[in-house]
Amino acid sequence: MNIVYAVMRKELLDLSRDRRTVLLGLLLMPLLLPAMLLGVGSLAEKRATTQLEKTLQLPVIGAEHAPNLVAFVAMQNIEILPAPKDADADIREQNYDIILRIPDTYPEQWRSSAAADIELIYDSTRRDTEIPLRRVQGTLEAYSATAGKLRLLSRGVSPSLDAAVRVNSRDLATPEAKRGQVLAAMLPYLLILSAFLGGAYLVIDATAGERERQSLEPLLATPASREGVMSGKILAACVFGMVSLLLILLSFKATFAFGGGIFRGIDVSWLVIAKLLVVLVPMVLLGTVLLTLIAASVKSVKEAQSYMSILMFLPIIPTIALMVSPVKDQLWMFMVPFLAQNQMIVRLLRSEPPSALEWSTYLGVGIAIGALLWLIASRMYHREKLAISA
Amino acid sequence: MIDVRDLHKQFKTKNGIVKAVDGVSFTANDGEITGLLGPNGAGKTTTMRMLYTLMTPDRGTVTVDGFDIAKDAEAVRRRLGVLPDARGVYKRLSPRENIAYFGRLHGMKEDAIAKQTQRLSDALGMAEIMDRQTEGFSQGQRTKTAIARALVHDPRNVILDEPTNGLDVMTTRAMREFLRHLRSEGRCVIFSSHIMQEVAALCDRIVIIAKGQVVAQGNADELRAHYGEENLEDAFVKAIGSEEGLHL
Repeated sequence: MNIVYAVMRKELLDLSRDRRTVLLGLLLMPLLLPAMLLGVGSLAEKRATTQLEKTLQLPVIGAEHAPNLVAFVAMQNIEILPAPKDADADIREQNYDIILRIPDTYPEQWRSSAAADIELIYDSTRRDTEIPLRRVQGTLEAYSATAGKLRLLSRGVSPSLDAAVRVNSRDLATPEAKRGQVLAAMLPYLLILSAFLGGAYLVIDATAGERERQSLEPLLATPASREGVMSGKILAACVFGMVSLLLILLSFKATFAFGGGIFRGIDVSWLVIAKLLVVLVPMVLLGTVLLTLIAASVKSVKEAQSYMSILMFLPIIPTIALMVSPVKDQLWMFMVPFLAQNQMIVRLLRSEPPSALEWSTYLGVGIAIGALLWLIASRMYHREKLAISA
Repeated sequence: MIDVRDLHKQFKTKNGIVKAVDGVSFTANDGEITGLLGPNGAGKTTTMRMLYTLMTPDRGTVTVDGFDIAKDAEAVRRRLGVLPDARGVYKRLSPRENIAYFGRLHGMKEDAIAKQTQRLSDALGMAEIMDRQTEGFSQGQRTKTAIARALVHDPRNVILDEPTNGLDVMTTRAMREFLRHLRSEGRCVIFSSHIMQEVAALCDRIVIIAKGQVVAQGNADELRAHYGEENLEDAFVKAIGSEEGLHL
């Protein structure tokens, strides 16, 4: 235990002498994060409000066939434009979001009280179309409903007869959950990535770097056990990683406090911050132990660093898998590294605290995986080649 | 006391198997300086790495004060002070911090470390550099730091790989004086060198290694008599079989 402490102390002292690296490592994310969050948050909100409130431009083909409908639509903050030459091409070239086509069969169908066909032309793969489309559809449905009810009334039938069932929906998504949507996608990844690779520089330097500088040889010639030396180095990286995470979370809290409307309702109380730190402990452990394992098994710092780009993708894989085929929260999810962290963080931010079982599963499995990797890494530390680089 | 019996070690390389050490035996007594002399690439460093348990021999045994390196590696390391070929001094730490770190790894108490640090700093003449970061140190200052660090736990046996490598004349003389001082304290000192004069000037016992094997051993007089040469230098050349790689 004294060995672990001695090694950790030395590594942190050594690192603290390298001021620029420490400052970059500790402060870069906490400073960038607010900019990113505020930027993304306000961008999303701005887009939504402008699209909802600004006058929508809607070219109409065959407006002369349905003057009443066009007049109704024009009252709903929608500007009617004359028919374009080639509607499909205009949509493809993104000149317009939506085009309304009223075929010449409309007057005939309308007069005979049949359901008159009209057509909306749009490209649903364009995210920008979403809100305008909803506005136009809503307006058209309102017109259809009004006209339909008038027809029933004119025939002496109660308008509510046509509705056998009236659906009242009650959306259980809390306002908190709704606001958290954008951030929910980004924040967990940012936090997991910082936890996973936050101490990477220190870890790689402490093993592969020390080997390259040939100071591992005298170090391992001391009676200190290799497990002890390795654990000290891992612990130092964990301490550094946790400090860096604490700073990130503090900046996160500050951002939310000053962020205004967009973030209101996302839970960033001190209790949640503390819980997030606990959630990220297994991630920090996993990252440092895995990197130690890699650093102990490669020939050089350069080789170790080339693994970093692969490692940066790891945290995003389960999240993407879940996006593609969503399943509801299940206990096994709290066992899969990265996915588990993602679930825990999302739940905490949405003010839906994980249950005691989920907590204990999460922490138990996380630490067990860390311990397993530690065992493999310590085997690597016993290789004869490790100490000798020349 | 260090006893080496029939050490063998080979490495796989791209060009086949290299027998780095191929049957090395010698005994280094307490209160004596034993010199391993040989050309570059003779197997001196590999032999020493097996002595300080960083490499496992393919065959053969080493005992340090009666402890077997294969069975009791930790006890062996406790009894050894090691200056490896690459000094491996931490450049962002001062000599004092470098020394203290190793003291802690040896499980020493802080006041014992402080006392020993002071003693070594006096003996090696390091007072002025003790609290400067070692980045930018001269070769000599770095070697001194590494030696002080290796001796912080006051070991009975001292293994030094080319301790005078890259040092200027004055520092080399001081280093020799320091080695004699270690001998006078009754320690067992082993050092390697490819410089003949140095070995001749210092050693009570000389072990000449070439191509992984011990080709001759004894004190300077014995070697001269054995090879029938008046001049020790000629005896060395004869022992090694060629002048290649030997720094005269």
